[in-house]
Amino acid sequence: MTSDAPITIGEPVLRWSARARSIAEIESELARIWSGQDLTATVDGEPGRHVPARTSVMNLVIVARRPELAERCAATMQALTGRHPSRTIVIHSADPDGPSWFDARVEAHCIVPREGAPETCAETIHVTCGGEAGHHLAAIATPLIVHDLPVTVWWPGEPPLKSRSARDLLDEADRLVVDGSTWTGDGLTRLREMAHLAETTRLAVSDFALVRQARWREAIASVFDDPDFLPYLRSLRRIAVTYSTHDEMGAPGSTNMVKPTYHVGWLASRLGMSVAKPLAPVTGHGHAPAPARAARSGAVRPAMSRGVAATLSDGRGEVAVVVRPVISPTPPGTTLRVELLAERRGSELRADVTAEAETVHVRVWQDGVEAMERHFRAPRRTDVDLLAEAIESGRLDPVAVGALRSAAALVGPHWSGS
Amino acid sequence: MAEPAVRTKDAPRTIRELRLARTGRRSSRAKPVENVLREGLRLARMPDPSILVLFGATGDLAHRKVLPALYHLWRTDLLPHEFQVLAIGRRPFDDESFRAGIRASLEMYSRILPLDAMAWRSFEERISYQHLDFDDQSGFDALATRLDEIDHDRGTRGNRLFYLATQPSQFAEIVGQLGRVGLDHERLDSGWRRIVIEKPFGHDLDSAKRLNREVGKVFRESQVYRIDHYLGKETVRNLLVFRFGNGIFEPLWNRRYVDHVQITVAESIGIENRGAFYEQTGASRDVLQNHLLQLVSLVAMEPPATFEANALRDEKVKVLRAISSNPLDPATDAVRGQYGPGWVAATQVPGYRGETDVDPESETETFVAARLTIDDWRWSGVPFYVRTGKRLPKRATEIAIQYREVPHRLFKEEGVAPDANLLAIRIQPDEGIMLRFGAKVPGLRLDVRAVTMDFTYGSAFNVDSPDAYETLILDALQGDASLFTRADEVEEAWGIVDPIIDAWADGPRPEFANYDAGTWGPGAADELPARDGRRWRRF
Repeated sequence: MTSDAPITIGEPVLRWSARARSIAEIESELARIWSGQDLTATVDGEPGRHVPARTSVMNLVIVARRPELAERCAATMQALTGRHPSRTIVIHSADPDGPSWFDARVEAHCIVPREGAPETCAETIHVTCGGEAGHHLAAIATPLIVHDLPVTVWWPGEPPLKSRSARDLLDEADRLVVDGSTWTGDGLTRLREMAHLAETTRLAVSDFALVRQARWREAIASVFDDPDFLPYLRSLRRIAVTYSTHDEMGAPGSTNMVKPTYHVGWLASRLGMSVAKPLAPVTGHGHAPAPARAARSGAVRPAMSRGVAATLSDGRGEVAVVVRPVISPTPPGTTLRVELLAERRGSELRADVTAEAETVHVRVWQDGVEAMERHFRAPRRTDVDLLAEAIESGRLDPVAVGALRSAAALVGPHWSGS
Repeated sequence: MAEPAVRTKDAPRTIRELRLARTGRRSSRAKPVENVLREGLRLARMPDPSILVLFGATGDLAHRKVLPALYHLWRTDLLPHEFQVLAIGRRPFDDESFRAGIRASLEMYSRILPLDAMAWRSFEERISYQHLDFDDQSGFDALATRLDEIDHDRGTRGNRLFYLATQPSQFAEIVGQLGRVGLDHERLDSGWRRIVIEKPFGHDLDSAKRLNREVGKVFRESQVYRIDHYLGKETVRNLLVFRFGNGIFEPLWNRRYVDHVQITVAESIGIENRGAFYEQTGASRDVLQNHLLQLVSLVAMEPPATFEANALRDEKVKVLRAISSNPLDPATDAVRGQYGPGWVAATQVPGYRGETDVDPESETETFVAARLTIDDWRWSGVPFYVRTGKRLPKRATEIAIQYREVPHRLFKEEGVAPDANLLAIRIQPDEGIMLRFGAKVPGLRLDVRAVTMDFTYGSAFNVDSPDAYETLILDALQGDASLFTRADEVEEAWGIVDPIIDAWADGPRPEFANYDAGTWGPGAADELPARDGRRWRRF
């Protein structure tokens, strides 16, 4: 099926769609799209614009456990066609215990990214399979991959990183894209598994949870752009991260803690700190829970739990780490505040970084006197932005690698919070 | 008579500085600690809180380029929160009316529209206007006071970037006034002071030296940022990546393999209501002395040891010196032209002498072509043909590296012999890189045809590139002078162009107009490469 839908600048248009019942039929349809068809489109009412040949800079394999997730991810990738034209393979496994079956839809989407730019087209292959077939992801993806182009696997939801199926697929991949902030429980056990995977394979890992924090990192880094404050950077003594929970008790495992843990992991890795004591629940009594009504009204207040604590070492001394929940109407697991305390030659520097709506605020006190206040715009970022950044970060982003490694070390081998 | 020695800001001021200057030893000041948290972020360092003091803020350049660039930097959070623009002009605006004018300009010239309402609101809060006549001493006293007030109220910490977007004739006066009121002084804890000076930097070698001297009396060279916006263009910057980031091209980038180099900066537009300005400049001063020679030096320079401002500029200056060491013969190595009436892009256009504010007997050149030679180990014997002109058939800026023929023509018996390889770097429009090589035509015969491998930025990276002014202003705010021209670089470039201009001024009256609008310049320009058995590339 071809389409002569008119072009709107910046909007992907479906140009070709076909069904297939096997890998061989998919390959046949892919060949037909670009060889036999005279694909034309209409621009500003003028017919006859020829669609140029396929453009691909990478393969993207999306593994989605739910059909709506698969559609959403495919739409995200289509929005990126003009920027990162790719062959996208969306695999959705349904009814894993039923009989084996296979169904596929092959589509070509084209986009004119801006006035006067050439039209760029890319293919999307939607594969739905049931039963045993759905357990062999690599067997589906590998034959459909464009040779010699990098392979990125985007695994929304909970990637079963220890499963054979996931391992086989990831063996074929150069990059794994996940969103750790959507994982169930506190997410920290899976974070460790992912770090282990990154350490033991050539796989580069991009976690939206970490990518989203870029503006936070810029805000925190800005404190030390000031030459007066820079010397304190090597004298941190305390890092406290506060995150949002909806759980009145703030019980361990009730709220995803991946984002706050990344904050500490990033600081530790950039500053060359090692983990002296991994995260463990803070003992002692917490604050009494306030009525749920207060939470609904938008108030931020401590949860029952006093959070978790760890100790880092920078070679000169110990750095206390506290990660604590507060009840807040913002989505659970959202970082609300990062506090840094540094001491140097009898002088003290305290930095307080908070977020409100689309702004990150930075305030700094030197020896109790307010010395800096800054605001950074932090517009909410869509999956399209995050995926684009994950793809563009190159093969191995040393900052991401370091943050993940340190975050996993912080969690420690005996973590049982979730 | 030799000119008296002038003490510049770079001259040693203490015995210790003198000793260090003589011995060539560097100060033992410890290397500053780096902010390691910035690794991997968009900017290796956020610019410091600062005030950008924009002279000529009501002018065309400010409204078309500088202010839109600042807005985009602000919109994308690449400026610090404590950032202020103090717009200086001679027209009677208040803050509100000036901001309204900027908004109207952004609606026309912003590269991303519609404007982001929230970003604009916070941006306009940071703009204020001050009326100032540049010859008014008390006005500059008031300016110094106002800057101190802004520092106090807005936390800009004494860091100031003075941006001269005025008529060139006002540069020296403004610099002198800034020095008189001490706005150049960088004291401990008082913040940095930098000055951006727009091109043209001088009208000839003498005026450039005079201006350098006047600027040098007030600012140290490290505080001066002479802007040539060509150097901020993505493709020009990519030229450095292309040459020094790829292993396969650099070994072929020398006299052994390269036959000649052509650089064309062609414009289809005329002088666009800038008759008065253009009458004073002409193509040699407007493009050859700066854009074209900058491109030549980037193509011909040796790899710098580091990507640091002075290392890069040292190498560029060496190229300019190697050109001027073998001066051009204006009679045989340079051609000038002026367009007459004609047709461009299916539109009839007047000749240069028929343009507004142009002398009907004008001798100003709107086209210049030259044959340059670079006397160094790498380029000896390789001519660089450069040309630029107004009202040429199309807009195109391109660097073409023409490789030598193969040493032995193996396929000469089989139809047409293949063309020599060519590497073309397109700077605008349709930025990209093209490599031409020979390929066998399918079939039983052994015919060889030239084919091209074409890389186009637009299809490989469908991402908005920053405007050159965004790149350069951000660099100036961060104290990175790599893409700005140094005093000696400007003077060397004038040293190449000046003899040509002087010879033309002293020679017989030119027979202008000597090319029709919509053609590729005067016929004499074709003779430059033709004398060497070559020809200009066809676009």
